[in-house]
Amino acid sequence: MLGYVARRLALLGLMLFGLLCITFAISHVVPGDPARLAAGPDATASMVETVRAEYGLDQPLSVQFWRYVRGIASGDLGRSLRTRETVGSDLLRYFPNTFELVTGAMLIAVGLGVPLGILAAVHRDTWVDHLTRVVSVSGVAIPAFWLGLMLQLLLALDWGLLPLGGRLGLMQAPPAPITRLLVVDALLRGQWATVADAFAHALLPMVTLCFPALASIMRVNRAEMIETLRQDYIVNARAQGISDVRIVGRYALKNAMVPTLAMIGLRYGWMLGGTVLVETVFDWPGIGLYAVSSAVSSDFQPIMGVTLLLGLNFMLANFLVDLAYGWLDPRTREAGAA
Amino acid sequence: MSASLRLAAVVATLTLALAAPAPAFERSGDRKILVFAGRQEVPTIDPSVKYDWSIRMAQQSLYDALVKYIGNPPQIVPWLAERWESTPDAKTWTFHLVKNARFHNGDPVTAEAVRFSFARTLKLNQGPAWMLSDFLKEDGIKVLDDSTIQFNLSQPYAPFLSFLPWWYVMNGKQVLASEQGGDLGQKWLTTNAAGSGPFKIKRWEQGVLYELEAVDNYWKGWPSKDHVGGVIYKIVREAGAQRAALLRGEADVVEGLSTDDFDQVAKMPGIVVPNFPGMTTFGIKMNTQKGPTKDPNFRKAVCYAFDYDALVKIYNGHAVLETSPFPNATRGHVAVPGIYRQDLAKAKEVLAKSASPNGGVELEYVYVQGLEEERKLGLVLIDNLQKLNITVKMVPLIWPNMVARGSKPDTSPDMMAVFTTPVSTDPDAVAYQYHKNSWGKYYGSSFYANDDVWALIDRARTTPRWEERAPLYAEIQKRIAADAPEIFGMLMNRRWAMRDHVKGFQFSPVRFTGEVDLYPLAIVAK
Repeated sequence: MLGYVARRLALLGLMLFGLLCITFAISHVVPGDPARLAAGPDATASMVETVRAEYGLDQPLSVQFWRYVRGIASGDLGRSLRTRETVGSDLLRYFPNTFELVTGAMLIAVGLGVPLGILAAVHRDTWVDHLTRVVSVSGVAIPAFWLGLMLQLLLALDWGLLPLGGRLGLMQAPPAPITRLLVVDALLRGQWATVADAFAHALLPMVTLCFPALASIMRVNRAEMIETLRQDYIVNARAQGISDVRIVGRYALKNAMVPTLAMIGLRYGWMLGGTVLVETVFDWPGIGLYAVSSAVSSDFQPIMGVTLLLGLNFMLANFLVDLAYGWLDPRTREAGAA
Repeated sequence: MSASLRLAAVVATLTLALAAPAPAFERSGDRKILVFAGRQEVPTIDPSVKYDWSIRMAQQSLYDALVKYIGNPPQIVPWLAERWESTPDAKTWTFHLVKNARFHNGDPVTAEAVRFSFARTLKLNQGPAWMLSDFLKEDGIKVLDDSTIQFNLSQPYAPFLSFLPWWYVMNGKQVLASEQGGDLGQKWLTTNAAGSGPFKIKRWEQGVLYELEAVDNYWKGWPSKDHVGGVIYKIVREAGAQRAALLRGEADVVEGLSTDDFDQVAKMPGIVVPNFPGMTTFGIKMNTQKGPTKDPNFRKAVCYAFDYDALVKIYNGHAVLETSPFPNATRGHVAVPGIYRQDLAKAKEVLAKSASPNGGVELEYVYVQGLEEERKLGLVLIDNLQKLNITVKMVPLIWPNMVARGSKPDTSPDMMAVFTTPVSTDPDAVAYQYHKNSWGKYYGSSFYANDDVWALIDRARTTPRWEERAPLYAEIQKRIAADAPEIFGMLMNRRWAMRDHVKGFQFSPVRFTGEVDLYPLAIVAK
């Protein structure tokens, strides 16, 4: 198993370097002059050159790449032309917000998707199954930005039940950072009003974001449950008079959850990079918004930083799934060693 | 507190948070806080480093300058300088400072602070430096005494005063005390202020909101007893969400709504929409160095074929057509006789004199991706130029790519939709957009070339007396119009939507789109 883990880790490192090369190449071949944009629309040629020199953009690409790789090795992701902060500190500011949003959304998706999948499987081809099918098809088909806007209009504007957007109410001061996760920090500092306000602000974006994941989890879980419930050992359990609740909850769900868990892992990694629209609609100050704002300013260092971070997340999710498969199915390990 | 009590407290607060709609404006103690929902971030407030509308709105609130633009038409009024004089050749300018101005930390605003601020901006060579750097060097700034400062320009520069409202005065002592590695305080001033303006920073949550607090004993005093006690600038990136925030009472002022949204909210009770002609010109720049648009007659044909009324219709009537390359509020603006209006017969007549007498060419129209009005104008162009047997290919690009395309004559598109806001009311600010030195900038994407006009521009900016400058600018406007480097479009009205308890709004067209002077604003609750 250790050899297997080492091989996967080596591959992960290689993939990360590949991602780094591709991101750097793409960032530097797209049209646009970041120095000119950063210097401002009225800047003279000498002002543009000042910015270019300050950020090392006047150096040959090979030198820039070498500096970038060397920087990354020492934990320096460069500096943003737009925010004038280091990319590392920007990521530290924005990533926790995205992490909280995605984690919350995934908790809702799993919390609802798994039971609904079980219900649909147990009540296969009844109205319950049909209803969950409608939910799952809608979850995949409805674009996140549209759903977000509709929820915003209905629940926030028309009914006034929830805030329109943002992370906290205007007069609500965020807690002093401990973990940089707002809700966690508010809990740790005992700021209950802040916790409540943060939840109220998070509800709509989380629901919007969770919908596609909920749909997938529900469908996969349903399919796996149906398959599992057909197995001989389940028939045997039924024959022994074990209650349906016990069969489903104790024997079937455990086996049906394996593929669902793998999908949750992959989906989680994917969601971390797919929050742009939801963050835009709800003014959620996360990494997606940061990436978009950087992209429209041709601010390459943050784009590369975000790509690397999200790539790393995704790879880690894949890595963990690989490990899980390897642990569950020894044949995978042997195939990897061959 | 027991776990169950804690849980109950959270649930109770959550219920309240869910159920209670936001009040019309926020309160902090006895202070009335105005909420401004804007789409653009304020990445830095360093006055020497950068400006755009949101940055400048913050800078204007935190800092003071020697003089200030006020009103419509914009007037330059004394601010930190109570008076000034210049030599007849406009080379030496002397400013006398008020004695009672104080920085937020209590230090007096002195001539040395003014010197430091100008020298810092020139040294960093960023932000507003371009406005004066050709004429003012660091050693040309002299402190005559604590409250008198003199600027000795390297050559006469008549528009000098018109740029000073954007050169904010910083407290040098504070800045240098916060210097890191010889950066002249750049890192610190990105999110901190060292100014003497009517507001100081209370909260700075980058990318989320920025809260300013009114300075109670502001040295200049306040224009109203109901002046705002503070301002929260909240970033709301979606126009729909901005509109919703206004209607729900979560925002007092919003900018940047669509034309239709502004019209709709203007009809709603409790909301007012100030509506004023601005100085931002919209033009379709044509590449004068390459392709069919290199031919002046071809460009004129395009200008005569264009349906100008469509421009105003697209903005539901909230725009006026340009009557000159210069915006109406620019000093010395003249309505150019015979400025282009749609005349198909004339269009065909001048096209016949061009290298493409029968049309038969395709022009590329580049516009900002996602900007609906520019897309609609592209459709108008397609329809209009079809009548000259010219086809139009619409190419939406994101702004950085547009800037890149327009930076070289070889890559600049045949036609490029461009909004331009001059930074001062002096005609030089607009005329210089047509100078060779503006090639490569987005507003220079037509690569206009006319040696005579360039010489006139150079002469006009160094001529001290307005009586002599005015006819030069009249001539410049006529000549540029005659060369047709662009379709001279329209001046879109500036609009904001605000709750009717917001009073004291003062419009000045020289401010950027979206920018509001927060100082005179008041909240008068019913």
